[in-house]
Amino acid sequence: MANRLSALAGHYSPGRFGAEGQAGVHLSVVADLRLHQVAAWPDSLPAVGQLLANSIGQAAKPGPGCAISSEQGAVLRIEPLKFWLLNLDPPTIEAEQGCSLDLSHSRTCVHIDGPQAQEFLGRLLPLDLRAAAFPDNRVASSALHHVGVTLWHRGGGYDLFIPRGFAVSIWEVLHATALQFGLEIS
Amino acid sequence: MTARRLSTGGLIDRTQAVDFSWDGNPLQGFAGDSLAAALLANNQRIVARSFKYHRPRGIMSCGVEESGALVTVGDGDRRDPNVKATTQELYQGLVASGQNAFPNVRFDVGAVNNLFGRFLPAGFYYKTFMGLPPFESGSGTGYWMWCENIIRKAAGMGSASRAPDPDHYEHGHLFCEVLVVGAGPAGISAAIAAAELGLDVLLVEQDALLGGDLLGQSDAQASRDELLKALAASGVRVMNRTTAFGLYDHGAAGLVERVTDHITQPDPNLPRQRFWTVRAQQTIVASGALERHIAFDNNDRPGIMTAAAGRHYLNRYAVLPGQQIVIAGNNDSTQIVAMDMAAAGAEVTLLDARADIGDSTALKDAGVQIRTGTAPLSARGKTLNSIQLARGLPGAWQADEKLDCDALLISGGWSPVVNLISHRGARPQWNADNACFVVPEEFDGVRLAGSAAGVWQTQACEQSGRHAAMQAAKALGKTVSEAPGVSIGGWQTPIEPLYEINTEGRKSKAFVDLQHDVSSDDVRLAYREGYVSVEHLKRYTTLGMATDGGKMGNVIGLALMAEALGKDIPAVGTTTFRPPYTPVAIGALAGRSVSEHFRPLRRTPLHDWNLTQGATMTMAGLWHRPWYFARPGETINEAYIREAATTRSSVGLCDVTSLGKIAVQGPDATEFLNRIYTNPFAKLPIGKARYGIMLRDDGIVMDDGTTWRLSETDYFMTTTTVNAAKVLTWLEELLQTRWPELRVHVTSVSEQWAGCAIAGPKSREVLSACVHQTRAVSNEALPFMGVIETALQGGIPCRIARISFSGEMAFEAYVPSDYGPAMMDLLYPQAALHEGCLYGLEALGTMRIEKGHVTGAELDGRVSIDDAGLGKMASPNKAFIGSVLRQRPELMRSDRPQLVGIFPKDRNATFNVGALLCAADEISGMGEGWITGATHSPELGHWIGLGFIKGGVDAWQSKIAVAADPLRDQQTEVEIVSPHMVDPSGERMHG
Repeated sequence: MANRLSALAGHYSPGRFGAEGQAGVHLSVVADLRLHQVAAWPDSLPAVGQLLANSIGQAAKPGPGCAISSEQGAVLRIEPLKFWLLNLDPPTIEAEQGCSLDLSHSRTCVHIDGPQAQEFLGRLLPLDLRAAAFPDNRVASSALHHVGVTLWHRGGGYDLFIPRGFAVSIWEVLHATALQFGLEIS
Repeated sequence: MTARRLSTGGLIDRTQAVDFSWDGNPLQGFAGDSLAAALLANNQRIVARSFKYHRPRGIMSCGVEESGALVTVGDGDRRDPNVKATTQELYQGLVASGQNAFPNVRFDVGAVNNLFGRFLPAGFYYKTFMGLPPFESGSGTGYWMWCENIIRKAAGMGSASRAPDPDHYEHGHLFCEVLVVGAGPAGISAAIAAAELGLDVLLVEQDALLGGDLLGQSDAQASRDELLKALAASGVRVMNRTTAFGLYDHGAAGLVERVTDHITQPDPNLPRQRFWTVRAQQTIVASGALERHIAFDNNDRPGIMTAAAGRHYLNRYAVLPGQQIVIAGNNDSTQIVAMDMAAAGAEVTLLDARADIGDSTALKDAGVQIRTGTAPLSARGKTLNSIQLARGLPGAWQADEKLDCDALLISGGWSPVVNLISHRGARPQWNADNACFVVPEEFDGVRLAGSAAGVWQTQACEQSGRHAAMQAAKALGKTVSEAPGVSIGGWQTPIEPLYEINTEGRKSKAFVDLQHDVSSDDVRLAYREGYVSVEHLKRYTTLGMATDGGKMGNVIGLALMAEALGKDIPAVGTTTFRPPYTPVAIGALAGRSVSEHFRPLRRTPLHDWNLTQGATMTMAGLWHRPWYFARPGETINEAYIREAATTRSSVGLCDVTSLGKIAVQGPDATEFLNRIYTNPFAKLPIGKARYGIMLRDDGIVMDDGTTWRLSETDYFMTTTTVNAAKVLTWLEELLQTRWPELRVHVTSVSEQWAGCAIAGPKSREVLSACVHQTRAVSNEALPFMGVIETALQGGIPCRIARISFSGEMAFEAYVPSDYGPAMMDLLYPQAALHEGCLYGLEALGTMRIEKGHVTGAELDGRVSIDDAGLGKMASPNKAFIGSVLRQRPELMRSDRPQLVGIFPKDRNATFNVGALLCAADEISGMGEGWITGATHSPELGHWIGLGFIKGGVDAWQSKIAVAADPLRDQQTEVEIVSPHMVDPSGERMHG
């Protein structure tokens, strides 16, 4: 099987950049993203949501703009009727219940953390990322440098899903913005 | 004026001397100085020249309202004009210079304008030079344009560097429950009170230091320290050097933060400025009040400034603005200024227009000479050396004696800064008792506090701030104890309205708007010219239009207009304040959207691979696509002709990833497609693709593309590159608003799949060598318009359709994007075995023009399906979007422009895209049609084109048309032919 080639391959190198001192922002590219979309119909939403929650060992589906996760994977509610499944294959969905779609190659995922990650993202996204408004496992669709992106607050850091074709352009903006905080790329 | 630095006092750091340059001369100040303070400390009296008359100007204020000390800061590519010296922080190595003057501001030849000033009133240039016979008549404006060029050079301000901006800027977003604008006593008190109620508070201050008016007070250091200590403990987020320049809907505010404008060698990682968007639930505006000038003869002489500014320079910067100081005003606020100046060792005379100024014991004890019922009538000296006094009452002044002085500090009253709340639509109301405009206490979640609300005393301002915080908390649902409000005002003795001082019949050059040289006579001239509205006054005189936005002069101008009209000020009205409150650099507005990031670049998964193969790229929307692949020594023309010819004779590969791709899924997907496409989709078999046209509601073509049926409920739709987002949005709209009962989901998969077109007679050989099972692409397994899902060698999942844009036997193969380069590494060596090539957009265009295939160039939003020659694709047996309105009589006319092919009559001739198609005997006007595509056809061996012409081919069979190109001065005789210029029967692609 051929190897997957990330959109950012050859466009970044790990290391320490920008302001000296403790790095305020850490960036890392999520390799070989596994991302499936499952969409339900209005009347099948409870059943499909439950099916997805069960597939990662959780009791209930995530509410709009929220995510649930476990060691098996994660389920992000990205639209009222649509879910994203991360790191697991979707369960079989009959057409009467909904439909699934492989989007693993459609997004480039950059993980952002570090002590100034929230402040850093505030330079880029018109989102209220204060802890009370955007706690762990919150998901939002937004625009970053004119490009529609999805942000998931995960484990104190953030997963930023960028449409693949814009990945290099957005990465360059992320990199330039992060320099003032001290940037570490791993 | 003999301004000087005092040996003690101020908030400057005397341990840090700061060297700077003024007009090429080395000077020194201290850390903590503003440029204006440092210039004043060095007794630089003339620092600027006025806009129109080139009159000498000095420092007139200590803040953003400055109208005089406009200077240029920086040099080379960092030259920044029209900087207010009063707001520019001094830093080591700062380079500043005067502007709008030659050879310099101290001696300026442009000052000759002033000698003719009486002949140059408002409107002079337009009235004199526009339509001046015999140079101009009728609607001609050539002479005026010539004159304007000269006038603009004679008048103006500084000039910016024409080099690219070397700095970078960024945007940012902030959220809070309460935004407090202004960190004076009211703002700080409001912020602390709101934070103590558990609210998330953001406090912004345009100055480097917090404190507002406290910074200018001689005895406020302790109370300021106390406030700052409480502020630090409160958890309030504080941003200094940050101006809130505008308020917008739903609590949005625009801020500009000056990050490095005060630093000699800034950290290159930092932006120069940040443009912040704040979204606040409640906003408290504690933006203070600005002291007004008074119009009197020569009121612009260097040495004249506002009284509060004089006090500010004394107490914040330890600069005494003069030795013989006259302070003139009409309100109580001048008294403390007089006492501070006297305490600093100046000889002080206080003029007050009022007959009664209350208890003056303290003034007299301080040694201040007091003259009531007195005001300055005229200032003398190129730089101030004396004033002539006027005695009496406003409106009945009599000339009085002369008084020597080297500084004149003026207070004509105070104008609350209501700009921000006005941005939201609140109308200022005139408060006659305090001679100022005020606005309602609350307007749409915005509250005023402190002197911005017309409260004059420091303690009352603090109380006003706390009250505003309580009200904001209440609005946010907090249970709070009532904090008493504060009444507007606070003078011991009422203010005496005073806007102009002159005696009957005396000639005077009294300025109202100092930055644009608008005088009181100009205001009266506007009245005599018949302008009665304040908006007309503004446009006729340019009052309030300069970079200070009328902060100094608007109220005076209104008052004089009201007087001329015989009305009260409220009856004249006020102009609308609009953002920005102070100028915002274009760079800050642009943020990081500059240069290569002016817009985001969209790369296909094959981008780097294409570059490796020598692609020259071109923009296609936001996409970068290969334009052509030139071999060494080849021109673009040679390259694309070779690529097209090779593809037609053997095989060519083309990156087609940018085509829009939409997954259409669900039990009702077939029904949905049948409703949006003009042609039938109800019976499209699984494993087949179909070309489809979709119309808008009005019957005009929206887009075209192929849709592949992958399963009973799963389709793969392609759109044109340019319309991908538009089509997806349209489909979503239909599903969500018109047909919510259809169980269909549409999702963009444009980024999921990397696509390559394999075109040409050898395309099957190339593909069959790359797929996992060779027979998968045989003619039987994959006939024309067939679709398969298979795998390439190496197990790369792949979906292939046998469809053709080039007109050759061709396939489009799509693999998951991360495998895109791997797909090309399989395909290209196989193509090379057949002496095939890579081809770009130029060759793609050539081949589609040869075939008469339409793109966005033809489907431009004006074309019906019949115009495009595709009328047979409109099913008469079903309803679809646009099916009714496409049959409007206008769209069914037989003489509408229709798609045609175009040959030059002389086969060696050429024509251009955009040329008009005219009848040979009537080459004029809009012609009979137009050309949308043109290229050299390798297949036909001559130039060809696509376009539209009235009546189509049938109407032009025996007629010669002319491709008229007046912009490029070219005319070419052409023949109108069928748009299907190569292989019209489609034998090649059906193979």
